[in-house]
Amino acid sequence: MAQLSEAVVREVVKEILAQMGNGSASASAVPAVSNGDSVADMTMREVGVAKPGTASDEVVIALAPAFGDKLKKRTITGIPHTAVLRELMAGIEEEGMKARIIRVWHTSDVAFVGKRGAELSGSGISIAIQSRGTTVIHQRDLFPLQNIELFPQAPVLDLATYRNIGRNAARYAKGDSPAPVAQISDQMARPKYQAIAAVYHIRETEFVDGSKKPMDLEVRFN
Amino acid sequence: MAKRQKRFEVLDAREVNKDGFVTEWPEVGLIAMGSPNDPQPSVKVANGMIVEMDGKKREQFDFNELFIANYAINTAVAEQMMAIPCVEIARKIVDINVPRAEVAKVFSGLTPAKIAAVMDELNVVEMMMGLQKMRARRTPGNQAHVTNMQDNPVLMAADAAEATYYGFDEIETTVAVFNYGPMNALALLVGGQVGRPGALSQDALEESIELQLGLRGLTAYAETVSVYGTEKVFIDGDDTPWSKGFLASAYASRGLKMRFTSGTGSEVQMAYAEGKSMLYLEIKCVMITKGAGVQGLQNGSISCIGVPGGVPGGIRAVLAENLVTTCLDLEVASGNDQTFSHSPFRRTARLMGQFLPGTDFIFSGYSAVPNYDNVFAGSNFDSDDYDDFLILQRDLKVDGGLRPVREAEIIELRHKAAKAIQAVFAELGLPAITDEEVEAATYAHGSNDMPARDKVQDTKAAQEILKRGITGVDVVKALAKRGFPEVADAVLNIQKQRVSGDYLHTSAILDKDFNVVAAVNDLNDYQGPGTGYRLQGERWEQLANIRHAMSPEDI
Amino acid sequence: MSQQDIIAAIVKEVLAELNGGNGSAAPAASNGRSLNYKTDYPLAQKRRELVKTATGKTLDDITLDAIMSGAVKAEEIRITPQTLEYQAQIAESISRPQLARNMRRAGELTNVPDERVLGMYNALRPNRSSKAELLAIADELESQYGAKVCANFVREAAGVYEARDVLKKD
Repeated sequence: MAQLSEAVVREVVKEILAQMGNGSASASAVPAVSNGDSVADMTMREVGVAKPGTASDEVVIALAPAFGDKLKKRTITGIPHTAVLRELMAGIEEEGMKARIIRVWHTSDVAFVGKRGAELSGSGISIAIQSRGTTVIHQRDLFPLQNIELFPQAPVLDLATYRNIGRNAARYAKGDSPAPVAQISDQMARPKYQAIAAVYHIRETEFVDGSKKPMDLEVRFN
Repeated sequence: MAKRQKRFEVLDAREVNKDGFVTEWPEVGLIAMGSPNDPQPSVKVANGMIVEMDGKKREQFDFNELFIANYAINTAVAEQMMAIPCVEIARKIVDINVPRAEVAKVFSGLTPAKIAAVMDELNVVEMMMGLQKMRARRTPGNQAHVTNMQDNPVLMAADAAEATYYGFDEIETTVAVFNYGPMNALALLVGGQVGRPGALSQDALEESIELQLGLRGLTAYAETVSVYGTEKVFIDGDDTPWSKGFLASAYASRGLKMRFTSGTGSEVQMAYAEGKSMLYLEIKCVMITKGAGVQGLQNGSISCIGVPGGVPGGIRAVLAENLVTTCLDLEVASGNDQTFSHSPFRRTARLMGQFLPGTDFIFSGYSAVPNYDNVFAGSNFDSDDYDDFLILQRDLKVDGGLRPVREAEIIELRHKAAKAIQAVFAELGLPAITDEEVEAATYAHGSNDMPARDKVQDTKAAQEILKRGITGVDVVKALAKRGFPEVADAVLNIQKQRVSGDYLHTSAILDKDFNVVAAVNDLNDYQGPGTGYRLQGERWEQLANIRHAMSPEDI
Repeated sequence: MSQQDIIAAIVKEVLAELNGGNGSAAPAASNGRSLNYKTDYPLAQKRRELVKTATGKTLDDITLDAIMSGAVKAEEIRITPQTLEYQAQIAESISRPQLARNMRRAGELTNVPDERVLGMYNALRPNRSSKAELLAIADELESQYGAKVCANFVREAAGVYEARDVLKKD
């Protein structure tokens, strides 16, 4: 079964990348910013069970189980996870705040990953991200399925947007009320990507470990 | 491939080939109907209790199965109905000589796996015949989405007025940005009553916020109350059949109409389909809805349409889920509400399953704004498609719920709605709406044509609406004080629905005089030619009278 | 009673209703018979005299003038348990026992304050409450609001949540 799913993912990703390379017709889904190429320039190491933070300048980036070091290490449009994570962190740091990265294991649902991250965040603000690229800014006091800002369409998220997400999360952590990050709404992302996105999510969910607590991560960019 | 065959090059560039298709993957539930992992139908009743269902003993039931067994199946007839062969039940659905009530009686005793097996006996034309007979309300209806990417309240009020004037019985909004919820509900309520008194409005938000807006009379009903076909996905949706059942009672206790929402593909999209087919899991959702005592359901895959749309037979399964809902005697708001394909052919073909037979709400909803402004990520048809839709009605002599309108009428109406919301904002001390904005909203195609508003002020004001406890009655007063007595009266009449509770019944809508039209006093009695809803007389003349038809005098 | 017994009792009660029995000792309309969808629906047209607000006002009392003068207030425009019972009878008469049952549960909740209803709903969401907390809500529903059907519904949930591992974890 694992082999079959692997093959399916490979096939669909190839298909998408081929279509994107095709040019004009599908241009709306092509990220505006260069995506970098390498997926290999990052290492991740778990350094212990994540405890509730105390620093009020801390913004948690909560990663879904497969983000960064499993499967293809790229989002649904092929952006390397390394580049995505760099932009999120840069956005946070630009606002003078600190990023703390954790891995959530008990769920792959972006809302619940975000809620858990926010509970562990010293500022009460978190960013959660799935392997396919779906992202949310969450806050400790909200219900799991509420959010501050939700970025449900992974296919339209580019690196510039990820940096803005990092920046806005930091601003919320400082108590500001920034204007929400501008989002492109590509009506055609659904017919193009939804079935494929489902396969991505199933693959990520295979790494869920219901009994494992969130872990602090040490991330090294090479 | 070095050298391409030219016809294939042309084919590859076609719209349909921008859609994403995948092969079936039954092990994880990426299959529309008839997964090899779907259970075999069975039922055992002891002492009036279901002790076995679809091959599982009661001790092994998950919470969905417990809820279905306890609340959704008539155990007095279950064994008798389960004994009827699937193909025979399927024929009863299609046979015009078998009345709707008899089919509903049979379905009251069936298990999820049995219903799935019955559906597999039907082709799509038979399903459409079934839908025509089994739809609960005799008169078909329609629903619209009214949203914009800027959460602009002036534009929203004008768009709501236009939508209800076209004929939508219900209008639904949501937010581009979370905090705007209360303000959008207000704009939709006022605009909707300007366009056609009696239209019902709702605001799709997180469950408990949505309920609060209903309690205050800023919305008239609720729909985004989701249920799921596997236990794990239900938990990820942050609910259980019991919490949702309790919520259903909470709505009714305040006299508010509501329906649940579900759809094929949601479980596999959330990665916990347990290898079951999309339709089998959706049937469980329909039965949970029935068991909770909710009058109706929005389904037809809804926001997951790309998933069944990507696998073989998926659109047939989507039609089947609508049909199952009606066979279980529930209102159905039948989807067609999300961008589904790049191909206009596929979009139209997907619509026909609900459009030709008619449903309680053919779309849930039709985008009454250009799709770029549709915050539900676009609908199958949008405001740019109005004339296509109206001509489809005229060509096929089908009542899809809309009527042709004239440009001058719409200009007048949009202006009035914008003025009304301007007045309400002024009276309630919300951020001012300028005459320039009123003018822009009157003539706008979409939010790109609107001057920018101060979003920080608007989001604060939206929260103020909640904090200050502004109610529908405050809106009534504001409208009356500022010279909109007839709109005030309409908003008041919406509030009054919460006293009589008549619109809590199956498939209830209101006509322009606030009379309830439901599957009680307008029960579908279709039994073949000469029966049921017939498009004729004045209504047909109205639908035939499109804008651009030339008469002999014109030539 | 053991958990199993409680569930069995509830299920029996529900089934009795589903199968056409009339388990409730409901107030019928004035002439003593239950309302019927063919003759009594919609209430606002056919049995207008039966529909009252919580403060005893009729539909005809709720006018624009009455709103403007303050004679009718927002919080009065609410459905009553009696009206919900009438609607439940209509639902039963058209073979919709589940809908009727929901209307009766709703009738029981009319007196529970908005905030508390929301609180109870949130407590019933998965992994939010311990079994004791849910049972306490059930007792509150029954003793404070006379909401027997709702109380049993919550008790049933407590048992199911325990069996299916969706109670609050520490």
